[in-house]
Amino acid sequence: MLTRLFKSRGVGKFLRNRLAVGALVIIGMYALVGGFVVLGDVFPGKAGISLKEVEEPIGPPINFPGFLERAKPEKRAEVCRFYIDEFKRALRSRDPDARRENLKQIRYAERIAAPLEPEALDTIRENAEAIYDELSESENLDTDPAMLPVIEKLEAECAKFFAPITGWNKVKHDLRWSLGTDRQGRSNFVRGIYSIKVALAVGLVVAFISVLIGTLLGASAAFLGGWIDHAVVWLYSTLSSMPELVLLAVIVYAFSGTMFDRASSPWLALIPVYAAMCMEFWIGPCRVIRGEVMKIKELEYVQAVKAVGFGRMYILIKHVVPNTAHLMFINFSLLLIAAIKYEVVLSFLGLGVKVGPSWGRMIQESTPEVINGFFWQIGWATVLMFVLVLAFNIVADALQDAFDPKHVG
Amino acid sequence: MYAYIFRKILYNIPVYLGIILIMMAALRVNDPVAAYIGKNVTPESIALKRHSMGLDRPFLPIATESESQPFDPNVKPWFRVGSYVTTHVGSDGVKRTTRHAVGIYSPGNTQYFEFLWRIARLDFGTKDKPYNSWQYESENVGEKLRQAIPPTVKVTVPTLILTSSVAIFVGMLSAYFRGTWLDRTLMFFVVLGMSVSVVVFIVIGQTIGSGGLKELLGFEVFASSGYEPGIRNWITYCALPVIIGVVVGIGYDTRFYRAVMVEETSRDYITTAIAKGATKRKIMFVHMLKNAMIPVITRIMITIPFLVTGSIVMEYQFRIPGMGKLLIDALSNKDFPIIQTFSAVFALIFIVTNILTDVLYALVDPRVRLS
Repeated sequence: MLTRLFKSRGVGKFLRNRLAVGALVIIGMYALVGGFVVLGDVFPGKAGISLKEVEEPIGPPINFPGFLERAKPEKRAEVCRFYIDEFKRALRSRDPDARRENLKQIRYAERIAAPLEPEALDTIRENAEAIYDELSESENLDTDPAMLPVIEKLEAECAKFFAPITGWNKVKHDLRWSLGTDRQGRSNFVRGIYSIKVALAVGLVVAFISVLIGTLLGASAAFLGGWIDHAVVWLYSTLSSMPELVLLAVIVYAFSGTMFDRASSPWLALIPVYAAMCMEFWIGPCRVIRGEVMKIKELEYVQAVKAVGFGRMYILIKHVVPNTAHLMFINFSLLLIAAIKYEVVLSFLGLGVKVGPSWGRMIQESTPEVINGFFWQIGWATVLMFVLVLAFNIVADALQDAFDPKHVG
Repeated sequence: MYAYIFRKILYNIPVYLGIILIMMAALRVNDPVAAYIGKNVTPESIALKRHSMGLDRPFLPIATESESQPFDPNVKPWFRVGSYVTTHVGSDGVKRTTRHAVGIYSPGNTQYFEFLWRIARLDFGTKDKPYNSWQYESENVGEKLRQAIPPTVKVTVPTLILTSSVAIFVGMLSAYFRGTWLDRTLMFFVVLGMSVSVVVFIVIGQTIGSGGLKELLGFEVFASSGYEPGIRNWITYCALPVIIGVVVGIGYDTRFYRAVMVEETSRDYITTAIAKGATKRKIMFVHMLKNAMIPVITRIMITIPFLVTGSIVMEYQFRIPGMGKLLIDALSNKDFPIIQTFSAVFALIFIVTNILTDVLYALVDPRVRLS
């Protein structure tokens, strides 16, 4: 079925559309990144991005801006204060072993406490405290240019707390900090990248299952007719007579309290979302393919096979369904977009992804930040989603033009 | 015509019965009481909650009653069909067997028909016959619904009118200047807008519209969230959601209206009009707009349910106590009576608009009636 589709004229027409091929390349890049992230679930700690890595803070619980924006002096002082306090807590104990143990606990992704004697670190801390006290003379650091060199001195002093990062780790560290941190000190960059996996997983699983169910039901309803047709039509007209978001929400509610609701694994926790969306989205392909099969079954070649005496199921699977492959592809791409978009809306409402980040959750969590003028988190989530959805929109349009040119609307 | 309307209503009744059946069944897949209360409660309070919503009655006329969760003693089956036994291993590792008795019950005693009867009367609780929310125990679901409708209407109706009129205008403009830079820029922005999530528009729009505008003008035009009744407060609390709703909705509609208008230009009557010597503007706004009315009306009616959906997110973010916000709140509180009622009402609105669409469609295009 696939080989026949790939030999058809539509493929050539699709590949001649440069924009669509470019969009396909972008989707491929997303898929690669998503695949890389998945490695984190297979080999935790060795490759990819694991959930633990995403959820752990890489710095103080402060919205720290990304690479283009210099943080305000007030914020920079706040960050230094956080590190000073952290080391103060670690060095409070008198027992040297306990101090060493506490220092080992201080760890922000690649950054670890400098391999110095606790006493040496304590002097650094005292120096930093002294510089920090100088800052308190100023009333408002943000409007006081005289304090800038002091802050720089303070930052230089605080940098001595941590062991220098070199080589590959330095690259990783810079990437982590490149787009700032959220209010819990987690890296926006890593969270956004991890969400690619979530979005693609939701999109692919939902689109695949929905198209499969839709094709099976739609084709058999149209081809076999009778009570099967009535039942399928009743089922989809019933389900489509319910507002989409309400149906999705009700099905997600049906999973509340089950093992999927409480699951700590990001894969299990997604199952309610998959189930809800598949219940809703199979209707589209089912309708389209039912209509197409209605037309196909009257064509001469189907009549001819019937006359030869083949069974109905054989004709359906061998001769009718393969001729709807182009519609399956178009619907697959359309549903992918719909699933990714609905995942974001559901997560935004607190009904979708509950374990780990997703673009919807990032946008929802960024609401208080946006009011304070911090756009790094929402911006990154939006850009990632925008590019992916735009690419899929272009591909879906091109598929439609190439394979189903008579379609209107 | 009346026969057509009657036929449409008749056709939609089993659909609505099906929706209620599927929805109620989905809400009962997991015990709603257990989801609401959690684990550490007395069996009495569970039984009380169960009884308050009639969850201790059969769901459908044919039902199974188990020993561990017996039905209300007042509900007697007409006759028993039989029984079966299941065994399961409890959390303490002991194997237990439970008997389930299958019986046929009077439909009046079943949850399904009782709830349908409620919907038919639109009666969701009065003072004497309570049908109260679980979360807010003194509040009737019906009362909450009545309070939730005005805010929702205040947001959705202006959004619908504005979105449709602006989208038709822009779509026609785009079709009129087809192929020029104006058309291309408009379509570029439309596709751009379609690819950004609704929630981003809402979050950013909320900040710019309330905080940003306040900083710019020095006084508050739109509140960032909240709601107060009264038409005078409309601008403060509802205008910003409406504006954002229009911006979000316009993309999809414009693309559709443009496609409709472009398709219409290749019709024969347009050629006739051109041959007759009518100006381009006259053809566009007199001949074409009239004939494009069929898809336009259908489209407007189709967008109504989507508006309801869109208003759920809008109300949630702007803290407007409309139907959508109440439903989402109820979902996070596991407030079963509200979830069930509000979903049913949402579905009812959806069905009614579906019927209205078909009727309007038939009014505009007589061919539909006869087929």
